[in-house]
Formats: sequence, structure tokens, C-alpha cells
Amino acid sequence: MAVILVYVEAHDGIVAPASLETLAGARQLADGSGGSVEALILAADPTPLLSQIVGADRVLTVSHPSLAAYLPEAHQAVLVEAVKARKPDLLLLANSYVGLDLAASTAIATDRPVVSYCMAAALAGDVLTTTNQVYGGKIEAIAETKLPAVAAVNPGTFQGTVPARAQAETLRLDPPAALGSLASSFIEALKEESGDVDITQQERLVSVGRGIGDAANIEIAQALATALGAEVSASRPVVDAGWMPKSRQVGKSGHKVKPKLYVAVGISGAPEHLEGMRDAGFIVAINQDAKAPIFDVAQIGTTCDLFDLLPALTERLNTRNA
Amino acid sequence: MHIVTVVRLVPDLLEEIQVNEQGTDIDREWIGVKLCEFDDHALEESVLIKEASGGATVTAVGIAVEGMDRVLQSAVARGADRVVKIDCGEANPDSRALAKLLSEALPQLKPDLILAGVQTPEDLFGQLVPFLGALMGRPHASGVTGAQVDGNAVVIQQEYGAGRAARLKLALPAVLGVQSASQPPRYVSGTKLRQAIQGTKIETLSLAASGAGSGTIKEMRRPARGQGAEMIEGEAEQVASKIYDALASRGLLGGK
Amino acid sequence: MDSKPLMLAALMLLAFAFAGYRFFLRLRPMFGAPGIDRLDHIGERLWGLVPNVLLHRRLLNIRYSGILHAMIFGSFIVLFTAIIQAFGSGLFPGFSLAPVGGDSIIALLQDVFAVIILIGVGMAFYNRFVIRPARFRGSNNKDATVILLLICSVVVSMLLEFSFHIAAGSEPSAHWRPFSSAIAGLLAAVGFAGERANEAAHIFYWIHVCVILGFLTYIPGSKHLHMFAAIPNIFLRNIGPKGQSRAPDPKATSIGLSDVRRLDWKGMLDLYSCTECGRCQAACPAYAAGLPLSPKILIMNMRDALIEETVVPAPRPSAPPAAGSNLEALVGSVISEQTLWACTTCRACMEVCPLHIEHVPKIVDMRRHMVEAGHVTPGIQDAMASLQQYGNSFKKPPRMRAKWTSGLDFKIKDARKEEVDILWFVGDYASYDPRVQRITQTVARLLQKAGVDFGILYDAEQNSGNDVRRVGDEGLFQNLSEHNIEALAGCSFKRIMTTDPHSLNALRQEYPTQGAKYEVVHYTQLLLELLREGKIAKAANEKVTGVVTYHDPCYLGRYNNGFEPPRQIMAELGYKLHEMGRCRENSFCCGAGGGRIWQDDTGVKERPSENRIREALALGDAAIFAVACPKDLVMYTAAVQSLAVEDKIQVKDIAELFA
Repeated sequence: MAVILVYVEAHDGIVAPASLETLAGARQLADGSGGSVEALILAADPTPLLSQIVGADRVLTVSHPSLAAYLPEAHQAVLVEAVKARKPDLLLLANSYVGLDLAASTAIATDRPVVSYCMAAALAGDVLTTTNQVYGGKIEAIAETKLPAVAAVNPGTFQGTVPARAQAETLRLDPPAALGSLASSFIEALKEESGDVDITQQERLVSVGRGIGDAANIEIAQALATALGAEVSASRPVVDAGWMPKSRQVGKSGHKVKPKLYVAVGISGAPEHLEGMRDAGFIVAINQDAKAPIFDVAQIGTTCDLFDLLPALTERLNTRNA
Repeated sequence: MHIVTVVRLVPDLLEEIQVNEQGTDIDREWIGVKLCEFDDHALEESVLIKEASGGATVTAVGIAVEGMDRVLQSAVARGADRVVKIDCGEANPDSRALAKLLSEALPQLKPDLILAGVQTPEDLFGQLVPFLGALMGRPHASGVTGAQVDGNAVVIQQEYGAGRAARLKLALPAVLGVQSASQPPRYVSGTKLRQAIQGTKIETLSLAASGAGSGTIKEMRRPARGQGAEMIEGEAEQVASKIYDALASRGLLGGK
Repeated sequence: MDSKPLMLAALMLLAFAFAGYRFFLRLRPMFGAPGIDRLDHIGERLWGLVPNVLLHRRLLNIRYSGILHAMIFGSFIVLFTAIIQAFGSGLFPGFSLAPVGGDSIIALLQDVFAVIILIGVGMAFYNRFVIRPARFRGSNNKDATVILLLICSVVVSMLLEFSFHIAAGSEPSAHWRPFSSAIAGLLAAVGFAGERANEAAHIFYWIHVCVILGFLTYIPGSKHLHMFAAIPNIFLRNIGPKGQSRAPDPKATSIGLSDVRRLDWKGMLDLYSCTECGRCQAACPAYAAGLPLSPKILIMNMRDALIEETVVPAPRPSAPPAAGSNLEALVGSVISEQTLWACTTCRACMEVCPLHIEHVPKIVDMRRHMVEAGHVTPGIQDAMASLQQYGNSFKKPPRMRAKWTSGLDFKIKDARKEEVDILWFVGDYASYDPRVQRITQTVARLLQKAGVDFGILYDAEQNSGNDVRRVGDEGLFQNLSEHNIEALAGCSFKRIMTTDPHSLNALRQEYPTQGAKYEVVHYTQLLLELLREGKIAKAANEKVTGVVTYHDPCYLGRYNNGFEPPRQIMAELGYKLHEMGRCRENSFCCGAGGGRIWQDDTGVKERPSENRIREALALGDAAIFAVACPKDLVMYTAAVQSLAVEDKIQVKDIAELFA
């Protein structure tokens, strides 16, 4: 009979897809244990968000001007109050950047254990069993956490559609007093400079990772991309090193892409990167390490040396028109 | 203005990670360790803030484990003014235990700003920065990609992915989880490192760690491959040919 | 004329004072400069002056220029007697060289060499204004022209003085001066004779003397300073091991060269010796690639910075240096960072410089300063961080260093545990780069088949540090070398063999400065020994057909004199070798050394490796490009690919030439 509270993220009047997934997951877990799901929305004005919530038995709203834009301190204050008031057995959040701020802090403030990077979750009695990604995705840990607990869930963990149900009951919670004396403030939203190319709109991407070795070698990938009718994108280390602009970054801290074809060159497949491209239609992975996690999501793969393979493949593509 | 930056040693992901015999942890006997890359960025950001402010000092803090001396000495070579090693009797306190420990130890240092990396490869039971911020009752934020001190507050850039970010202002003292520093970690020559290794005095503190509060790991394992990719082997030309065929047959070729 | 000695003395005093002051200004920085010990082996140093100065060995590498310089140089020596005569007789009436042949043989020599020097100067003018070799680009042509004109003036005025004297009938040596006599004949024909001719002779005497004094005062500010600096500079050249870097002074407060005033005095003498001939520029692979490095211009800029420092009066301590003045730090404003990072340390510049100027040590010293200040390119930072952490530049764990051995069907001895005859120091690229691992395995099989007792250090081996030292990170070099020396100390072996010329240089020439001496051979030498002992079949690899051309690696050839073994191997195996023009000491670097392999291609207009492949293709019949260095293998294989000439030429390691 677990009560599951889901923290819902939203911005610009739209509920984050990751939160919708988390709601669906909460629904599954609640249905399995005969429990209920409460969704918590924080906003200056929650009204436009209400209709987007599916799967909750109850929608809790907290509105306050300080909640107009995301501020960690404000959201934490509200969430801690809500947990203390509603006493859910499980608080679920998406493992997003916001989740990174709130899951652990709320947990320790409410004296609960927290478990993060979950890719699978199951409830049995008062034990939450999760499968968690650690060590860059190279290892999976099975963890057991006693309720009441907090869990942060990776995107893509819960799938499936939520069955339609009656419109959820709405309940307004009072904003905590702390919101009136915050020690932090929101200054402004920042938009990333748009690059020359919007990789999220591309049908084919050739993506380079650390394995490319050097900025100078990217041209080998560019040659392949041109022959393939694709654009070049990159994983975080390549962008951090300054070899490619941020607009080309694929992954959790970059962009989510869904091309028809994704060629991963020298990318190991850390979870943060997979988060950005696992939905691609057809994934080809080239990596020297046969055990690289990228091969888990790819359709075809090879450990052939990329410095030999890319020119060969480019050549093959160029000669088809000859 | 006193900045404290936390440095942690974590298994080197470049190497092959093996599970130990019991199956409940990774095999730590042969694994190499290195400074957590996000802590590296946090250290860099600390030094950058110090350089921008003029008069600020940076203290690097780490737990007494094998290899920590070298990390602290490198921190000095990078620009830290003081380094402190905490002997807590336990080799590897998890982030929650570490946060509790630091919430007691750090106030002695009177920090205005505390920086640490946003996460480690093994902090599945919660991250240090949000734990520490909540325990100390101070504003905190993770996913930080830049920080500038502004009087009694710090202005940060917080990243959310997909090109979104925001600028926030947090009153000091604050705790920041650094994703990437404003500039890539600077180069420190081998000579500077050698000098730091010889000349650095590492202060030590003793505090016991308490571990309770998290779940338990029942098992660690290599991810099951599932379907996994169909692997193609051979010489470059053969592999290229097979890939070409696979793409062509699915109508995935573009260009020209 | 009694006033003549006085006037001359006065002029000389004036000229000497002025010239002396200008010389002093240039010598002054050398007084306070740190010293280096270059006064060892005096006999060898002196003896070296014979080929370098007398025989013009390096100058004659460019035949035309060498000959014209020999003509001018030889003439200068002979005509010095004329200067002695002119000033001697001017100061001391009655002075004459007649007792020693001044009116006979010396007069003849003077006359002949006057013509020779004029022909030489004519050739020089032709070179500078008609032929216009590319190596002169960036040189100070005005200075060169002025010098040539001054030489002309000195000699012509001398000739005319004698000619007029002959025309006047007052020249005792007239019979011994054929050319002057001929000119005298012309002069007489136009009416110069007797007193008129004598007066004219006097005029040309004064012109002659004044031009000489003027030349003297001009010299300090000109590249002709090499007249005085050259012989000392060649005498003080480095006769020690070419591949051994000078460790920084442990007592120095700062590391590296940040200011030209901190050069040691030999380094400053280098700057004054430069004749701007540009041979170094013509040999430099970075310059050929279009990068902003010309060794010649580097030396010129350093020289100008040094001179400006002392010629321009120093400002009062309180006033800051004027913006753009050379009083700012040397590195960054006078010499750009890109210039310094462009160098591959291949030593081609030093090999061809007739003055034995040491370009590379200055570049490395300036790099040391930049490294200390943290001003490195991102590629270098990455590589240094990887070397710091893992002991290799590939960001791969040490455990994977010997992974290439898993492709063999035998186990290589662990030199750390067992005694071996040959300890094989494999090297980074040969161990970690997949393109080179194939060759490493081939070498292993060759050694195994030949019955060699060899072993490797497995994961105890780290990068030898050769290129780390050349990048300028002394501390990291010390870490790496200390580690390797300790590992080697625990082993028992007779010789060290390596497939990597850079490691060869470090082990053989650099490690002795760290207190460790080994007998180190390159694998080509070992393979040649085995071939000659009959332990390897003298058969060519039947898959390798066609004419072979061979590229001398910089660190094997120029740095370690390893030119012969690879050639002899090819000869014994029966390959036909067609040498490229730039072979042996003149080999053209692949562009990877000195840390360049850790940098990107920004600014490169033509990769040195592609330039080299084109040179090989231009031979017309070379189907195989043979290499003996892992970096060469990587660079040239990439070059052949990017030039798309795989069907015309193939890159093969020496090891692949065996059956």
C-alpha cells in the first residue's frame, strides 16, 4: 500500500518528458502494490500544467512567485515540506540536473535513504529494489533500500503508456514560510548560442568521441559524414576539449537526438551519452573495446580500427556514385 | 574570502572494471585511482575564483586514503593555498557519510564557498553537494558551469541540458557542485609538481565517519548484453563493405 | 705631407672610438651573462676550424655560394696586407712591406685577389638580385647590399690608388701588379700622368682609408659582425653529444629562457654570428609546412632584441617600457608562442649552419619558460597529463603496454624477472599505436626466429621522456627517466635495443645526465648483426617488390649517426635503393618530433610528411618508402593515404623487408 510522491519538473509551461515517464513508473509501482500516486507541481501558476499530468491519483500544487523559475533552494524547501506533510513511502524524481539538486538534499533533510541512477525499480513490501548504473555504465549494481526512501530514475527506465483514468483530484499545499526568506535568487535564463547546425534535426549523424584522439582527426569523420549525407556531432569529452562546439554535443548535458542513422565513432557509451541518442533508428558503433557499453544499444558494431575503417567506408560510399 | 574544495579519489574508468569475488563490490585491489574529473574542475574553478577576486584563499580537503597525498600536493601546484587531509578511519566513506563528516569538519575552516564535483562514478546513494548543502542549511546548486563571486553572494551558471541554462545568485556561504569549470583545468608542469611534492605541508584532521542511512548493494555485475550489437570483424575494406551493405539495404544512405 | 700621419691618427682615433663604443654595446650583455664550459678539448676545437673555416665544408653545400664566399674570404685575408700597408705607411712615413715581399709577391697576390674578390662580390650581387634564392626571404637585404658595396669600394679604391700610382710612375711594385697596370694604362690614355696621377692616387688613398674606417664602424650593427664572431663561435661550438640537452641550472630562480638578456654568453655570440644566409630556413620542415617558424628569423629577432636592449638607453626604473619595445619579455612579444611550438627539434638547421649556431637549445629553453608559465597548447597539455598519470601519451593504462604481445605465439621474457642478453625498450608508439603494433610483432618474430635472448619491461616501461624534455617539461622528464632508470636497475642485461629512435636518443644520450649509462643500439643495427651472423635468412620479402627509397629518421640519423645499418640491411637483402636528394644528414623530418605529434595541424599549409612523399614519388621508380621509426610509420602512412597514392608507393618498416 505504498504512497508514491512524484516530483514533477516543468519549464516554460511544459511538463518535462522525463517527469511524465517517472509518473508512468510510479503508476506501475503503485498499481503493483495497491498504492497511490501523488504528483507534486511547483509553479508560480500551476494551472496550465495540470492538464498535462496523467497517472496520478492526486495532484498537489504549490504556487508562489519565487517558484516562477527553477531555484534549487526554493524547490528543496517546498519538497521537504511536502514530504513531511504527505509522508509518502517513496519520493520519485527524474535523474535530471534538477533531480541531482533535489533528490539527495531532500532525502537527508527528511532522514531518508536515497538511491540514484536507477534503470529499473521494483517494490516488494517495504523494500525498494533497484538496478543502478555506476562506473560510467560499465557496472550495474542491484541495491535494496528500505522505505521510506527517495529514488532518482534515469530516463528510459519506465516505458509504456499510462492507462487513462479519472481526472485526478487537485490539492493546494501552502507554500512553506522559507520561500519568503530565500538566500538565493533567479537572475535570468540563458540560451545556448545556436550553432551553424541543429543536430536534433538531422536524419544522419556521425558522432565522434574521445577515441578520435585529436582535433585534427575529426576531418576523417567529416569526410565520412559528407559521403553519407550526415552531419558531425560529438560526445562531451570532445566538446569539453574544445574540438567541437557545444551545439554539436549529444548527451545528457548536450542534446537529445533521434536520427535515422547514428554512427558512433570512438564513443564508449557512458550513460550520459546514451541518454542523448539511444532512440536513434539505426546505430552503428565503432570502438576498439569490445566491451564498451555503446555496443549494447547499437545494432551493428565493430572493433576495427577507426583510422582504417572510416577512410575505407568513405571510399566505398564515394565510389558508389562513380 | 575562503574557498574550500573537496577532492576525491575514484576508480579510473579508463581501465577495465572487474567485480570482486563476492560479487558485491568492484575489485579494488588492482584498479588504478585518479582524482574525480568533476572534482578536478571544481579545483580549477576554485583557483579561478581566487584569481579573479584577489585576496581569496583556497583550501583543498580530502580523505586520508592511499594516493591522497599526491592529489593534495598537485592541488597546491594548481594554486591551492592550504591542503587538509581528514583521517576518518574508513577507507572509502560514501558521499552521505562524507557529507556528514564534512558538515562537522568544514565549519572549523570557516569557508565562504564550498566546491566539489557534481558526482562520482560510484555515488549511487546520493551526491555529496546536495547532502552537504542540506546538512549545513546552506543554498546549493549542482550542474554548475561557472561561478563568480559578487560581494556576499556567488553568481552561478547552472546547466540543464538540451541547450538550456540559467544564472542564479546564491548567498554565501554556499555549496556548489561543479560540472565543468569556466576554463579547462590548467596545465601544471612536471617541475611545479615536483616542487609541490617536496614543499607542501599537509594538515591533518581526525574525525570519525558514520555510515548509516543508505541502502545496501546486494550485487554488482557486468551489464547483461541483451541483444547487443551484431559484431563485424575483418580487414577495414571488408568491414566497410558490410556496413555499407547494411546501410544501403535499409535505405539509410544520404549525400551526393 | 706631414699632416698626413696626424690626420690619419685623428681619423683612426675617431673611428676606433665610435666603432669601439658600438662593439662594447654589443659585448656588454655578454659580460654579465651566465657562462658555460666550452673551453674543454682545445685541440679538437682548434682542429675543427680547418674543415669549417679553411675548407668551407658547410658553405660548399651550396656550391655557388660556397665558392663566392671562399673567394671573398680568401681575398680578405690576402688584402689584409694592403690594409696594413695603407695604415702603416700613413702613420709611419717610410713604413713598407717591401722587406717581406710587399713590392713583389705580396703585390701580385694583392692584385690578383682584388680581382678575385670583385668577381666574388659580383657573384654575390647576382645571387642576391637575380637568382634570389628563397632562403634569403626575410633576411636584411639592405644590410647585405651595403656590405657588398663597401667591400667593392674598399677594393676598387685600393686598385685605383695603385693604378694611379703606376700611372704616375711612382709605384715600385708596378711590375707585380698586372691588373692595376692595365688600369694604369687606361688612365694614362685619358690623360692621367705624373703629378695629376699622384694627386688622384692620394685622393683614392684617403677614400680607401676612410671606407675601411667607415666599414669598421658599420660592422657592429651589421651581419658582417660575423667576421669577428665566426671563428670564436665555431671554436666554442658544442662538441659534446648532439642529443644531450643542457639541464637547467638547479640554482637558477626561474626555469627556461624568458628574456634574451638571460642567455649564456655563448648563446649571445651565436646571435652575433648569424649571417642571415637562410640555410637553416631552407632546411626547416616547419618553415616548409608554412608554420610561423624560420630558424634564421628566430635568431635574427633574438639578436635584434638583444641589441635594442643595450643600444637604446635604458629608461629610468620608474618608467614602464614603451609598448611594443623589445624591453618586454622575450617570449610572447618578440618570439611568438606559435613559433616556438612549431619546431620539431629535428636539428636540420644546426646541421647546415656554417657558423654552428645552436637554434634548437634556445627553442627548448624558451619552451621551458612557457611550460612553467602554463602556456601550452591543449594537445600538449593532454599529452603531458596522460604521461603524468599513465606514463604514456595514449591515455591507456600501463597494463596495456604489452598487450601487443598477445598476437604472438610465444611468450617474451620478462626482463624484470629474468636475465636477458638484449633488453628491448619498446617505446610508446610501438606499444600502444595499433598501426605500429603490427611492426613490433614482426620484429619480435624476427628476433625469436634468430634465437636472440631478449626480454621487455612489460608495464614497468614508461615513455623515455625524449620528447617531453624537448617540449620543455623538465620535471616530467625527470619523473619518467627516474622511473625507467629504476626499472632498468633491477634488470640484468648486456645491451638495450630499441625500435624507437627517440627512445634511443634518450637512453643513449640523455639518461647519462641522470646518472645512468647503457649500451644502446637501434634495432636496425641488431638486425644487421644477426643478418651478418647468418641468424636471419638473407632473403628479401617476396611481397616487397620494386625499388626502395629510405627515409633517415632525425633521431637515428642526425642525432645518433645511424645512417649505415638500414642501408646495409637493404643491400644485403638484395633491394635496389634509390636515394632521395634529402637523405642522410639532410633528411627531411616527418614533422612529428619535438612534441608536434601531440599538436594539431592549424597553420600547416603542407604537411612535411606529404612534402616528403612527393619527394619520393618524384624519384619516378621508388615503389617502397622504407622507414625505421614508429612515428615515421604513422606519419607517412597517413600522408600516403591523404595524398591517395597507395597504388604508387607503399610505406614499409625495415623489419618488413625481411623474408
